[in-house]
Amino acid sequence: MSVPHARGYLLLRRGGGLWGIANAAIDGLVRRGADYRITIGDSGGNGSGVLAADEILGVVEDLRVWPLAPVVRRFWPQPAAGLAVHGGEPVVVVDPGRPPAALQSGDGEDGGEGDRPDEGLEGRQGRE
Amino acid sequence: MDTVPVEENGKSRREGTHLLVRAGEYACALPLASVRRVVRALTVHPLPGATAELEGLAEFGGEPLPVLNLGRLVHAPAGPNPTYPVTVVVWVGPAEAREMLGLAADSALEVVHVPAGSVVAGDGGFLLGEAPVGGEVVRVLNLEALGRAT
Repeated sequence: MSVPHARGYLLLRRGGGLWGIANAAIDGLVRRGADYRITIGDSGGNGSGVLAADEILGVVEDLRVWPLAPVVRRFWPQPAAGLAVHGGEPVVVVDPGRPPAALQSGDGEDGGEGDRPDEGLEGRQGRE
Repeated sequence: MDTVPVEENGKSRREGTHLLVRAGEYACALPLASVRRVVRALTVHPLPGATAELEGLAEFGGEPLPVLNLGRLVHAPAGPNPTYPVTVVVWVGPAEAREMLGLAADSALEVVHVPAGSVVAGDGGFLLGEAPVGGEVVRVLNLEALGRAT
């Protein structure tokens, strides 16, 4: 799945929270075992890499994004583009150039679709 | 909730200045002018990587609302499990750049009058000091300081 240059935000769940990534920053989305890998490309700024998601909820055309208040940055020292609400649930809008640690897959930049020695059987089955 | 009516039956009654809430073993006084609403505890979604004080994010009035755990903010020893926990929606930060914030507390108690002169021994920041209220020493909080960037 690839949605370059598309409008809107991809909504995903990770770590119990809801996250939104601008579609324009996404180069690819693949299932990897029980979860998903989202490739952020050059269009996302200097933060190209692979992010992880527990669940993909879909794409919304638009989100009203509020900037992160200083009090949030004080207790959650992670980069983000802002906060939003979708379906009555708060959404953290990701800065594609600086994704938060909670979304990092640990796969590295070339970990999007290649086979890796540390990939278990469960992961391979999920990709079939 | 910006003001509290004063009785007009001839009795002199001091106007309430603070909302008293329970957070663990502590009672905390929040300036009424900063309190927007008290609601039943909102559903909070965690933010991975947040410090213990930040419970997570909730939705309030169609907007995202960060929710802080008041007991952890004031380092209150844990009390009994609250029967009716609340989220106190407050304004924090300076008036020209105030932000809406939720404070998770065990219960909302009452509106009280806290004379400015009765507040002692604060840290000059979020914990303005302590004051005697109804036979109990309460923590008087400065919500404007809470919203300042550090």
